[in-house]
Amino acid sequence: MENKQETWPMLLVCVALLCGCTVKAVGDPNRPITIQAHITIDVKGLKDTASDIEDYVSGEKPKENLQSK
Amino acid sequence: MRKMIYMIFVILSAVILFYSPAMSFAGQYDLKEMTSEVQAALDNRRDRFEELRQFKSQGIIGENNRGYVEVLVNDKGAEGLVDAENRDRGVVYTTVEKQNNLTNALETIEKVFAQVQREKAQSGDKIQTEDGQWVTK
Repeated sequence: MENKQETWPMLLVCVALLCGCTVKAVGDPNRPITIQAHITIDVKGLKDTASDIEDYVSGEKPKENLQSK
Repeated sequence: MRKMIYMIFVILSAVILFYSPAMSFAGQYDLKEMTSEVQAALDNRRDRFEELRQFKSQGIIGENNRGYVEVLVNDKGAEGLVDAENRDRGVVYTTVEKQNNLTNALETIEKVFAQVQREKAQSGDKIQTEDGQWVTK
């Protein structure tokens, strides 16, 4: 009996965490449409893009590498 | 049963801790739309690539630390080439900024491109390091 009482809160926490992960990954459908001014640039991603563009310019890579897949 | 739930709880917490920053920062920047303007800029750059390469190998033109080329030795032919190249690079940089909604990020984009140019420079090319020094690679 005591065991069951301790298990339920943990189960609830797990369900809440799972819901949180789903909302984080998929996005809350009811979220307000606002744009935050603070933007963090993924420099690694930008560097990959820059590298692809320069490889295209030098003739090392085809144009297909430049655009969204 | 209790042990299993505890394990799931710990694993979930670990996953959230490790992957939350990655989810927030995930993103690939690229040219979302090949507009006629950016296409022309890229084509022009491809067309002048070999000529630019020759000037670079002679030490007349170098890659500065702001993502553009610079004339290092007086040469009329090189000046025209550098102006045209920098104009086209500017088009590419602003297009990357606009199409990826990177407001006020032009300076960062230019610096990242400069870093890539330094890495791709051939041995003997003049490059400007981040602290402003011109060196031969």
